[in-house]
Amino acid sequence: MNKFKNILPPILSIILAFAVGAIILLLSNFNPIESYKSLFNGAFGSAYGFSETLVKMIPILTIALGTSVAFKAQLWNIGGNGQYTLGCISTLIVCVYLPAPMWLKLVIALLLSILVGMIFGGLLGLAKAKLNANEVITTLMFDYIIALFLSFLVYGPLMDPDGHNFPQSKLIEKEVLFDKLMVGTRLHSGLFLALFLVILLFFFWKTKEGFRIKMIGANPNVAKLSGISVNLQIMLTMGISCAFAAIAGYIDVLGIHGRLQDNIAGTLGSVAIVVALLGNLNPIGIIFSAFFFSALTVGGQCMQRFMGVPYSLVTIIQALVIVFVVASKIIVEKRSKK
Amino acid sequence: MNAIEMRSITKRFGSLIANNNIDFTLKKQSIHALLGENGAGKTTLMNQLFGLSIADEGSILVEGKPFKLEHSPQDSMKKGISMVHQHFMLIKNMSVCENIMLANEDENFPLLNPKQTKERIIQLSKKYHLGVDPNSIIDHISVGQQQRVEILAALYKETKTLILDEPTAVLTPEEVEDLFLILKELKRNGKSIIIITHHLNEIMDIADEVSVLRNGDLIGSTPINEKTSTKELSRLMVGRDVNFNFKKEKTNSIEKVLEIKNLSYKKEHVKLLDNINFNIKKGEIFVIAGVDGNGQKELCETIVGLNKCENGSIFLNQKDITKTNVNHRIKNGISYIPQDRQKSGLVMNWSISDNLILKTYERSPISNKFFVSTKEAQNQATRMIKKFNIKSQDNNDRANQLSGGNQQKVILAREMDRGPALLIASHPTRGLDVGAMEYVRNQMLELRNKGGSVLLISADLEEVFQIADRIAVIFKGKLMGILQPNCGVAKIGRLMAGLDEEEINE
Repeated sequence: MNKFKNILPPILSIILAFAVGAIILLLSNFNPIESYKSLFNGAFGSAYGFSETLVKMIPILTIALGTSVAFKAQLWNIGGNGQYTLGCISTLIVCVYLPAPMWLKLVIALLLSILVGMIFGGLLGLAKAKLNANEVITTLMFDYIIALFLSFLVYGPLMDPDGHNFPQSKLIEKEVLFDKLMVGTRLHSGLFLALFLVILLFFFWKTKEGFRIKMIGANPNVAKLSGISVNLQIMLTMGISCAFAAIAGYIDVLGIHGRLQDNIAGTLGSVAIVVALLGNLNPIGIIFSAFFFSALTVGGQCMQRFMGVPYSLVTIIQALVIVFVVASKIIVEKRSKK
Repeated sequence: MNAIEMRSITKRFGSLIANNNIDFTLKKQSIHALLGENGAGKTTLMNQLFGLSIADEGSILVEGKPFKLEHSPQDSMKKGISMVHQHFMLIKNMSVCENIMLANEDENFPLLNPKQTKERIIQLSKKYHLGVDPNSIIDHISVGQQQRVEILAALYKETKTLILDEPTAVLTPEEVEDLFLILKELKRNGKSIIIITHHLNEIMDIADEVSVLRNGDLIGSTPINEKTSTKELSRLMVGRDVNFNFKKEKTNSIEKVLEIKNLSYKKEHVKLLDNINFNIKKGEIFVIAGVDGNGQKELCETIVGLNKCENGSIFLNQKDITKTNVNHRIKNGISYIPQDRQKSGLVMNWSISDNLILKTYERSPISNKFFVSTKEAQNQATRMIKKFNIKSQDNNDRANQLSGGNQQKVILAREMDRGPALLIASHPTRGLDVGAMEYVRNQMLELRNKGGSVLLISADLEEVFQIADRIAVIFKGKLMGILQPNCGVAKIGRLMAGLDEEEINE
């Protein structure tokens, strides 16, 4: 009964969002049924479409897992983009410039991404704990700083000398990149790493450390009286949260990009926030919501191509889902208080 | 004609009667004090007058004219009634003038007139010696000045009756003197004032009349004059027959479980604990009695390990724990029932079973090297719910679905089940119904009889006399004396009011 109660609001929200989307389609003289059919076919109708949905899901899922860790502790890390980019940069530097055997490059790049994420998050956590620097502002501001740093790198020291002055880095050697899972698609073995992280996080919440993070989020006063160092936990939580996003960067660079390019993160970070919330901050829930959002993205592009429906409709549906999820949470909370 | 008359006011919250058939009369141009312990119903009564809550029964007259029970604060202000709350309702990053304009938007609607507002502020400030500068930002002025801004805001609305809810709780002694001068000036200018307090000496200083509330009942009203004594007031506040025959063989242990030496604690340069010395022996209930806000909370939090003390040392079972953290102290047998169970005692939207393991989740059998076992937590919960008689439908009921008494039992279960060497309980029975109250007291006695020690913070003298082995009285962060429970109510009342001091030999 309890589980059903948790799943119902997001599902109802999605249905409602599509219903409102249909009205908008009607008003703009599109056939909603045909449009939605095209959206569905785009995401699931072909092997290639489906593989693209999975490819897009990997970074969204991984960043959203990290976001959910911070959110559980009531820390609003909204800088997924910047942290993802840090992972991308670390990975590229190791894989292109470190003279080492292939397998070692993979391991070192992963460890470095995690380390950079942990340190970055830990410092933001320290600023929050000691100086009361609001993490919403620090994480968001660092998004810009890191994005500009990335521009500096790809226009400057890391620019590919044979790249005709394109703002991009050298390519990583083919042998280092992740294997493709299906011929003719971009789906790569990074998917398994992402799914492994889901399992890891699922069990993390059952550990003592997971319990502490939940406690500082639920009531910091009680946490203090229970012998927990809240400041240390804030640093740890931010560190873990940022490390997930950095791993997402690692996976994407080795799985699809193969190099650094300007604005590599796109809108992944903001989508991940929504995905984490829609998934109820639960690792398993986040798989479903990440899958849903990436299907919307892939299908929406298809709908635009074949039906002429502007891609912004997808953005509208995404936004409506958020509005309804937030609204339903408030309603449920009010009810349970009575 | 009286400024305010409240007749037969009754207010219930569920089964709790917060105000029981109370008559209250405020004479014009006088200062009337409402005296009573926390939870006695003082603020509730005033909230009904001001319109923040609605009385169930009774009637209210303002200057002889009936005023409907169901009214809003806006209605009250139109009738000339204003209230200064304990927590100020000012916007911190705005100036005094802006705050006043915000509360008087309709003055020049739709425009504002800062010049005129400032002039009136200066004029009022001069008339009543408030010393308020209309241009200063609220965040930059002292708490005492903020309070005067609140008073000025009321005067700005041409208030006739001013209600002050524990106005001195946040002030330094000098600021209290200033406030009292202002209140006397207001009275001289024809205002009527109600002041909620539980400090006896303040009443003697300033009030013309006092009404004493206890557990929702009006105990009596009396004018203050040369004949009134604080002794009489303390008897009014404590008043009831105290039941001395609760217990229990005497403890003879000399083994010290807790020893506090020269403990001092400062917060933002204010000395909240001043050279405190006492010890608690094995199998003893040591009570710290006193009016709220005299350092009890700080003392508890310092012993628990939340505050770093400035001076002095704390010994637990002869071991110096002054420098250790909260976690270390929990593991060495200190349990704590905080005063505010909803804010500091429980995670309200967590299940009972999760709340029960907050302090033991790291230990076997609830967790192994890495994982917290949900199953074992459930087993423990089932056992503790039974042992401590917590009334719930299910282990997974959330804490906010429980009644106050059962919430307290969850905390009690968590803190007692570990078999603590020392239980610190801060107002553990406050706000509970009689049954739960008795249960909590019995649990503390049982712990004592089994050889545990209890440090009980209480303002409820009945409770103090029922279960204490020794009683210390705290006043302004200092221990005024350590007494035996047969010392008598009057003696304790005097110490609580800071009128007397005993030699402490420990």
